[in-house]
Amino acid sequence: MANGKKLNLKQNYSMLTKGLDWEPSYQKKQDIFPQLEFEGIKIHDWSNWEDPFRLTIDAYWKYQGEKEKKLYAIIDAFQQNNGQFNVTDARYVQALKIFINAVVGLEYNAWRGFSRLGREFGAASPRIAAQMQAIDEMRHATTQTHACSHYARFFEGMGNAPYQFDRTWYLSIPKSFFEDACSSGPFEFVVAISFAFEYVLTNLVFMPWMSGAAYNGDMSTVSFGFSAQSDEARHMTLGLEVIKFLLEQDPDNVPIVQKWIDKWFWRAYRVLSLVATMMDYMLPKRVMSWDEAWTIYYEENGGALFADLARYGIKPPRDADVTIKEKERLSHEMWSIFYANRDVVGFPLWLPSQEEMNWMSEKYPNTFDKYYRPRFEYWKELEDNGTPFTNTTLPQLCQVCQWPCLFTEPDDPTEFSHHQTEYKDEHFQFCSDGCQHIFENEPEKYIQAWLPVHEIYKGNCILDDVDPESPDYNPMVEAIRYMGLKPGIDGGLFKEHNDAMNWEKWTERPSNIHNQPATDFVRKTGSDK
Amino acid sequence: MSYQLTIEPLGETIEVDEGQTILDAALRAGIYLPHACCHGLCATCKVQVIEGDIEHGDASPFALMDFERDEGKILACCATLESDISIEADIDEEPDAEIIPVQDYQGKVSKIESLTPTIIGVWIKLEKPIHFQAGQYINLNIPGSDITRPFSLANKPSENFEIELNIRIVPGGVGTTYIHERLKVGDQIGFSGPYGRFFVRKSNNKPIIFMAGGSGLSSPLSMILDLFENQFTQSITLVYGQRNKEELYYHSIFLDMADRYPNFNYVPALSDENSDSAWDGYRGFVHEAAQEYFKNNFSGHNAYLCGPPLMIDSCITTLMQGQLFEKDIYLEKFISAADAQKSTSPLFKKL
Repeated sequence: MANGKKLNLKQNYSMLTKGLDWEPSYQKKQDIFPQLEFEGIKIHDWSNWEDPFRLTIDAYWKYQGEKEKKLYAIIDAFQQNNGQFNVTDARYVQALKIFINAVVGLEYNAWRGFSRLGREFGAASPRIAAQMQAIDEMRHATTQTHACSHYARFFEGMGNAPYQFDRTWYLSIPKSFFEDACSSGPFEFVVAISFAFEYVLTNLVFMPWMSGAAYNGDMSTVSFGFSAQSDEARHMTLGLEVIKFLLEQDPDNVPIVQKWIDKWFWRAYRVLSLVATMMDYMLPKRVMSWDEAWTIYYEENGGALFADLARYGIKPPRDADVTIKEKERLSHEMWSIFYANRDVVGFPLWLPSQEEMNWMSEKYPNTFDKYYRPRFEYWKELEDNGTPFTNTTLPQLCQVCQWPCLFTEPDDPTEFSHHQTEYKDEHFQFCSDGCQHIFENEPEKYIQAWLPVHEIYKGNCILDDVDPESPDYNPMVEAIRYMGLKPGIDGGLFKEHNDAMNWEKWTERPSNIHNQPATDFVRKTGSDK
Repeated sequence: MSYQLTIEPLGETIEVDEGQTILDAALRAGIYLPHACCHGLCATCKVQVIEGDIEHGDASPFALMDFERDEGKILACCATLESDISIEADIDEEPDAEIIPVQDYQGKVSKIESLTPTIIGVWIKLEKPIHFQAGQYINLNIPGSDITRPFSLANKPSENFEIELNIRIVPGGVGTTYIHERLKVGDQIGFSGPYGRFFVRKSNNKPIIFMAGGSGLSSPLSMILDLFENQFTQSITLVYGQRNKEELYYHSIFLDMADRYPNFNYVPALSDENSDSAWDGYRGFVHEAAQEYFKNNFSGHNAYLCGPPLMIDSCITTLMQGQLFEKDIYLEKFISAADAQKSTSPLFKKL
């Protein structure tokens, strides 16, 4: 570079960071970075890693500090103004419960995973990128906790997230997902989380979910979303850089990466399915349907991405076509399962109103009236007769994704998809061909899965103060206690739930804008919506 | 009302319409600025204003902090111009790029020659010399109309008083039909230029592969002539494809060059040549010829691609599967309004 000439940003950054890494002189590199080879990934030249951020720690602190200041100012204002009562209705808060109880645990686990990469990667630049992302993830977990803890002062079911995350049956879905990733090698972890989860699929969480929060008056969650999305962009860029780097380093990496993409796309899709129910059933004011979101964020955007990746010899994920076949039924099947099991979940359930079902008919013209409306209408009848439908046994869980086997065959929405295989003289069950395939590639890993329902039946889910040999021992009651759920307070029917009662008492507005008010507190105001 | 935007460190100046964002204007002018969300949330497109006034638009307060606004940072995807401005963006500097101001030129058609049944060569003698980099193009004013058409310069830069254009007739095309059917020697004609960022990265000092097809030969021709004139010592391989022997214009020039320069390899390929003809060269497409010639291993090279979109697409895939990736592949990218509408992935920056 010529004397006196201004450095461009790249040169400037390389001058700022030179000498951060060094060649070891008295230890072997393999001993310092012991996890880099066992997965079969070949890296010939770490210097080809293009640092996508070029962010110094100094600048990083400054940005993040400013983001925190802004976010907490908004959360403060939200609290001062009792913003929790300005959301559409008390059902919106139920969606937040899933968020706090599931997503915070994911962020925390992401911090664990990226902290490890910050130690293990073979060059300074990716290590620093991973360290910064680790700090981001911890920041997200804390700010989410702070944003939601305010809600916990007014509503049930949000005060015990870490405890429930480790024990409650449906929270084992996100938990097992991330622990599967954290117990993989460093390259598999980064492909799983940075690429398959963050790059390919996070937009599904951020776009519809954050607009959903805005539509429903939750400015606290919206601010968190904006604050996190500016980090998320960095994480997504890391996902892209990782995939290019691995694919360009050695042609032998291509089949390994393809296997990981197949696996983690399907794993991430199953976890994110939860968003489908939030979008279609839980948001009182809806933004778009899951079907529409999947079309835009996976089929169109993902399609463009995989068209580009084809140049490296990478094919679209193995089960991508199944996700497209499922998009017209996913949310309906899942809401049915949650409703039927509402006494053992951490949030109360309700049936969609006529108005909401009409919206579904319009958004799901091929499936809703044919398969799901009759079911909900029948269940409504049972509710009105005082005999609501309830599932009295525990569901069969999938050995891999840990969802109940609630999904239907890709080509037949009336046939449950139950897959089974035998390994070392034991039977294992799966929700889908996708999950079975993942199991069969690594059976020794997945036979170790801690499946809540199995553990309950094995008698492993009881608290220390319980004597299973006493005559009045009730295994179901004790299992629910063990999971941290309070019967009659956490789950049940929404219209009878504390949150609905309190909401109407405190706001004099209906707890469900699509139904008759649940209490007299609202009726006097004459609202008939 | 439009404003001028100068983008450092490239030193390029482009026009920006009222209400048009900086990012949109830059991408349409073929200048890649880093970007991702395109609506003010992710901050990937943050750039520094050196001089001039802008409106921030919908930039999120989390993506562009107050202190950054005070320092003159903006988000290119949201910012619009309130005056002529110059910005500094995070773009790799190109040591081989020359900054040549675009000018208007006038000249007289000095020769027209049929090169193939569908391509003619047009030579224009200029009133003043043109300075350009081999590989660049000009916008030719079609006489008697207000339309212009882009054509790459086929002559080498040292022949600066007479330019050569190779023009294929596009069925139904107004511009090329005029040139093929009505333009004649002695006509006055004007153009503006030079444009484009397609030039040889000589300072990379790597062996070069040119892949050319259809009427995309002009740029590689000019580039190769220029390289030899400047004693380039690395190996140069031209993989040149046409449908049949009749269309394979300048074949003999390249055969002569292959004899004369030991570091020049010439690989012609015909995709639709009559099977009983005397052609003893490669039969197939450019990317197939290249794959065979290089035994599916392109690593260590720089590749320059010029030709119809389908050919470019196949060549990129072939190169990448033969271990040559984005940073070593160069092509002229035109982004049409239709391209800007369709979903794209940010995996590649310039391919």
